[in-house]
Amino acid sequence: MARPVEAEADGRAPAALEIRDLRVTFNTSTGSVPAVRGVDLVIRPGETLALLGESGSGKSVTARAIMGLHDRGNVEVEMEHATVGGRDLLAMSAEERRLLRGSAMTMVFQDALSALNPVLTVGDQIGELFRVHRGASRREARERALELLELVGIPAAKDRVRDYPHQFSGGMRQRILIAMAVALEPALLIADEPTTALDVTVQAQILRLIDRLRQELGTAVLLITHDLGVAAEVADRIAVMYAGRIVETSPVDDLYDRPAHPYTEALLAAIPDLERPSSELLAIPGTPPRPGAVGRGCAFAPRCSRSTAVCTERLPLLTPVPGHPGRTAACHHTEEVLHAAVS
Amino acid sequence: MPPSAEPVLAAVDLHKTYGNRLLGRGGGVHAVAGVSLTLNAGETLGIVGESGCGKSTLARMLVGLERPDSGQVTFHGEPFASGRGAIPRGVRRRVQMVFQDPLTSLNPRMTVLDIVAEPLDVHNLATGRGARRARVGELLELVGLAPELMNRFPHEFSGGQRQRIGIARALATDPEVVVCDEPVSALDMSVQAQVVNLLADLQRTLGVALVFIAHDLAVVRHVSHRVGVMYLGRMAELGPAAEVYGAPAHPYTTALMSAAPIPRPQARHRERIMLAGDPPSPVNPPSGCRFRTRCHKAQDLCAERAPELTGPGAHLAACHFSVPAA
Ligand SMILES: Nc1ncnc2c1ncn2[C@@H]1O[C@H](COP(=O)(O)OP(=O)(O)O)[C@@H](O)[C@H]1O
Ligand SMILES: Nc1ncnc2c1ncn2[C@@H]1O[C@H](COP(=O)(O)OP(=O)(O)O)[C@@H](O)[C@H]1O
Ligand SMILES: [Mg+2]
Ligand SMILES: [Mg+2]
Repeated sequence: MARPVEAEADGRAPAALEIRDLRVTFNTSTGSVPAVRGVDLVIRPGETLALLGESGSGKSVTARAIMGLHDRGNVEVEMEHATVGGRDLLAMSAEERRLLRGSAMTMVFQDALSALNPVLTVGDQIGELFRVHRGASRREARERALELLELVGIPAAKDRVRDYPHQFSGGMRQRILIAMAVALEPALLIADEPTTALDVTVQAQILRLIDRLRQELGTAVLLITHDLGVAAEVADRIAVMYAGRIVETSPVDDLYDRPAHPYTEALLAAIPDLERPSSELLAIPGTPPRPGAVGRGCAFAPRCSRSTAVCTERLPLLTPVPGHPGRTAACHHTEEVLHAAVS
Repeated sequence: MPPSAEPVLAAVDLHKTYGNRLLGRGGGVHAVAGVSLTLNAGETLGIVGESGCGKSTLARMLVGLERPDSGQVTFHGEPFASGRGAIPRGVRRRVQMVFQDPLTSLNPRMTVLDIVAEPLDVHNLATGRGARRARVGELLELVGLAPELMNRFPHEFSGGQRQRIGIARALATDPEVVVCDEPVSALDMSVQAQVVNLLADLQRTLGVALVFIAHDLAVVRHVSHRVGVMYLGRMAELGPAAEVYGAPAHPYTTALMSAAPIPRPQARHRERIMLAGDPPSPVNPPSGCRFRTRCHKAQDLCAERAPELTGPGAHLAACHFSVPAA
């Protein structure tokens, strides 16, 4: 097993997740699809990072690459650096990585029903984690399963451990999936659109549950969402993704108050705010590009009101925003965007 | 632009149950259970509610795509959607619908020209190929698409563009009413505003009345003059948008709004009412008030008697303990 590295030089615990220069390319019959084009992510222990982007921007592909879930066949996954809780993923054997999955890093999907095994009771599914990873006895496993169902708020858990997934509502199934994801107290929980299929009242319950477990267990959370509202509700930091790249990272308050990238700025102007109805939404022209149809410059340039000649020629790199500690942006005109927000 | 107070469309006590008739009466899904509403000329009536509460069923009954089991829909005072007879052509032409998923609602084998012209053909509104093409070109321009694109097929367009095609088709017959069932829910967030703004513009310029159904409360508030909040097949609250959102009278409305995520981190610490559990099944809805099983105000009365949708002025709520308007 790869050994945990020592605490970092500044004495802090190692990051829950650190990924540098992740690239994922699909080889399809119609050519290669560069779905993720150089993504860096760092999440501190106990922190929630929202990976925010529209559909097709590469969020799920990123998550699957971190988890090691892409099949080898038609896809190339490259990264320069990848650690989870200080353990080096790139130095691990496939078997070590498989064991890490489900224990040190786990994932919750949008569609809970297809992520659960339909022919096993929920008690047995949760219990199996303890049997496989912790060598627990049948009885211990069943007890732990019951505790977990109670932890995630399944009413009358005791009577329901022997029920099958289809006997639960969508919201309850998502709770069961979350119970399985936190069972072994992972360093990192990846939640890929965990509430997108749920109604808003149930979404609020699930977001609150994830946040409570993060606090109680100290788990870091990578929350993948397309919803600016959801990200604002739960994230400590946000990484905004567009066309396979991160275009901005920021502590949550700063991002909404003073976006540093024109895409973030435009998105915020395009969505209505329930509590602040305004007469006009500023629509963003055009549509997000398909991967592969992106030029060498900035992928947002064709839709950007601030783009100039340099934007279509030179790819802006994700760099620290001067004067704004903890923020990065990939834009030739960041200064201008920040300035516009205060004026 | 202020909408007039003359109702174009009105629904009176609509009921619709889906069920297995072979198994007799019981076991059916009471999808819409007594909904009444009016739509005034030129206004937008928003309808919100969680999935399964009956929004799409209501929408289909409003445009005559589905017959209510009881109750009726009237167009300028004339009933059309009850009984067995066919819906009069004049009504069908004047009441149109836009669907959520533009890809599945547009025939993939038809060109945009034929898709948009279909209602013109059905109602004999364009005589001759030239006139037909000209009218389709005009409609595409109206929704912000280049007329040159009319010979292409739906799959050659993005989601937002396909929704524009669906809107162009709905407008082809000069309708007075367009019922939009989740018209932006399937679109990317950077594209939603384009379609929301387009619908608002069309309403201003054409004076068409809209029913705008969505589960996104913020979008509905943004577009609507009046809003109806549905829960398990019934209207829980109905009134002017500013009042329903600003001073909700029904506990469900309050809970729904406090659950909606707000894109402002500072709003995180607002007071919220969390509902427990999921909405109950419409196969076996609670007696009395259907919301009572999740309501923090529920008392014995709520299980005994279903509350009427009533209230002072235009702001109505169906709750025995509704908050009186301020
Ligand atoms: N198995 C695959 N083969 C080819 N392309 C794929 C595959 N999976 C994803 N992609 C492409 O990668 C891009 C990013 O997809 P994804 O990460 O799922 O987006 P999202 O941000 O919505 O989660 C999309 O354009 C998608 O078409
Ligand atoms: N054609 C149908 N056959 C059987 N049940 C249906 C049918 N259409 C809708 N329902 C049921 O009626 C209820 C209301 O559905 P719907 O009107 O689609 O709600 P919404 O649009 O608010 O999500 C749901 O329980 C749904 O499963
Ligand atoms: Mg995804
Ligand atoms: Mg519907």
